[in-house]
Amino acid sequence: MDEQTCDKKREKVSFTGLVMKPIWATIVQTARDSFGGRPNTVLYPRERLVLPDRYRGKHVLSFKRCIGCGQCVEICPNECMWMKRIDDPVLGKIERPGVDYSRCLFCGLCAEICPTDALLMTSEYELSTSERDGMRYEPEALRNDEYPVKEPKESLLIPVLGLDKCKGKEACVKVCPVKCIKMVDIDRTGKRKPEIDLSICIHCGKCAEACPEKAFGMQPKLVVMFERPLPLFNLDKCTGCGACFRACPADVIYMMEMPGTEKKKADGTMTKPKKRAVFVLEKCIGCGRCERACRFETLEMVPESQYKSAKPSVAKGPKKGGKKK
Amino acid sequence: MNLWDVSYAISKFLMDIVNFIFSGILGLIPDPVGSFFEGIGSWSVSAGVVNFITMLLEALIIIIVALLNVIILIWIERKILARIMDSRGPFYVGPIGFFQNIADGAKLFVKQIIIPRKVDKFGYQIAPLIFVGSSFLILSVIPLSPGFAVTDSNGLTIPGGILFAFAVFAIAPFSILVAGWSENNKYTLIGGMRSAAQMMSYEIPMLLTVASVFLLVGSFEFSDVVSAQQNIWFGIPLFLGLIVFIACMIAEVERIPFDLPEAEAELVEGWTTEYCGMRFGFFMFTEYMRGYAGCGIATLLFLGGWLGPDFIPDEIWFLIKAYIVFLVFIFIRGALPRIRTDQILDLGWKRLLPLAVLNLLIAVAIKAAGWI
Repeated sequence: MDEQTCDKKREKVSFTGLVMKPIWATIVQTARDSFGGRPNTVLYPRERLVLPDRYRGKHVLSFKRCIGCGQCVEICPNECMWMKRIDDPVLGKIERPGVDYSRCLFCGLCAEICPTDALLMTSEYELSTSERDGMRYEPEALRNDEYPVKEPKESLLIPVLGLDKCKGKEACVKVCPVKCIKMVDIDRTGKRKPEIDLSICIHCGKCAEACPEKAFGMQPKLVVMFERPLPLFNLDKCTGCGACFRACPADVIYMMEMPGTEKKKADGTMTKPKKRAVFVLEKCIGCGRCERACRFETLEMVPESQYKSAKPSVAKGPKKGGKKK
Repeated sequence: MNLWDVSYAISKFLMDIVNFIFSGILGLIPDPVGSFFEGIGSWSVSAGVVNFITMLLEALIIIIVALLNVIILIWIERKILARIMDSRGPFYVGPIGFFQNIADGAKLFVKQIIIPRKVDKFGYQIAPLIFVGSSFLILSVIPLSPGFAVTDSNGLTIPGGILFAFAVFAIAPFSILVAGWSENNKYTLIGGMRSAAQMMSYEIPMLLTVASVFLLVGSFEFSDVVSAQQNIWFGIPLFLGLIVFIACMIAEVERIPFDLPEAEAELVEGWTTEYCGMRFGFFMFTEYMRGYAGCGIATLLFLGGWLGPDFIPDEIWFLIKAYIVFLVFIFIRGALPRIRTDQILDLGWKRLLPLAVLNLLIAVAIKAAGWI
């Protein structure tokens, strides 16, 4: 019958295995807990677990380190963060993220992507409140400028060009021991800027010493955990409005005049030349704010690995007043 | 001094006070019948009144003893089950959580009593009464010691107390069936039916093991059974019977692994699903009380009852043994999974019944050889 075939398949368990072994196991467990040690549970309000350093609890935000790039808001899967405009007496007009803990899933992506280690996760977990609004933490509530960075992201000092000071004297190109600096023409401006190949750079800092204008500053590279996208610039569409320049949190973008674009006004005077955006991509953190700020589809975010081979999409001429997407 | 003398003294004392008040302070009022107060005085110490007061006191004492035992047993169970699960159990109320049960009871007591609209009101309300009342009735025949038992005025216990106890024990499945039917809910109905089906399987082996004890003793009274174990506890020669009896007693008091009528995983709360507030509290309370009664009966029949060295009082010996049996219940609860509905009859009739018959044969052999 069915029962017999079932029995053949099933492993036979004896009375001892079925009844006595579990009872013996419980007796051993009870004796171990009662006499040998303590139960595993923790009497929570009296005792507390020692949480690991990497515990993901409430956030803490350093206003000084934060550059307001908004990558945390972008990457948040639950859309529980937002950027708040603050008028800080010391730091001026800034944007800083706030967290809504009623929606936060504590995945830690925001702290992971933060390029400056400004947003960290503490081991604080008692977030219950009696009101729903109490779960919404404004950036001021998260602020703690003194909170130590336990695991600082590995960062190297890289030479960062201050393009407004650079006069194209090529002292840095001559002094570089590994020849990682090349002078690159900036289209239509008649000027040249040094471009650094960071994959070869040995971070020696000789270029910064050699620069007569002190245009190079050795600054820590802003580390991004994921592959950063870089803005691909389409000069044909640029109107020189400067929206990307104002939006950039990392001071990557400079506005430069293009000589030869002056127009004659009706009264004979010349207008000011048109401007264009110039990118110093060594410092870029790939937040994409410039792309979102641009109203003329000039910029396109391209992953870093494809950046060199990528070309701007077919030029159609600037769409005046055209809205983004 | 037995309880009858106590209640006699109480009623005489009360009547003396009444007489004093009436004759002393209100003595000015003329007595309507002449010897009216004296008549009341003599009536109050008559056998009927004193018996009534004695019965009330006995019921009170039984309830208090049951209550105290249940509180201790629930506390022990929660603590030890927690240790089995590597946690702590009740901790905050009272010293090491001892008064947690009282807090739980108070919480249940203040809850609203909801009677669902579509229940059969009569059955719904009578079933708890039968369940709780019959369980208290078991305790009325269980003696803690020769001096701590329900007797009549001559000091005689109920004849056939063991038979009475098992008869009353078997009433509870009926009340469970009534409750399950009248609650008008599929889970409760299944629970009640399971209770009836379970009773089919365990009653016979259990009574057969008890019969082996009867056979050795030749009496149906607890005191005779205990005094017959002066030389050796019946649990030693009838070890098989003890195991069968404990297995059946766990089924009788519906504890894990035989808690089919209220299988939380399958039937929401089994046959108590629609009960709430203090009614539910009474059910929980009564389950532990039945557990205590079962442990007590196992102690009396197989483990020598109150017999033990004299440095501990008889009653304490009885309670210690009963608690040890309850510890076995707890460890079985912590270790074993719930038995399936189709397995319970299999277990009762194919495994336990042959063992019980074998045990009966052993008892017969011992009796024939004249060892006990």
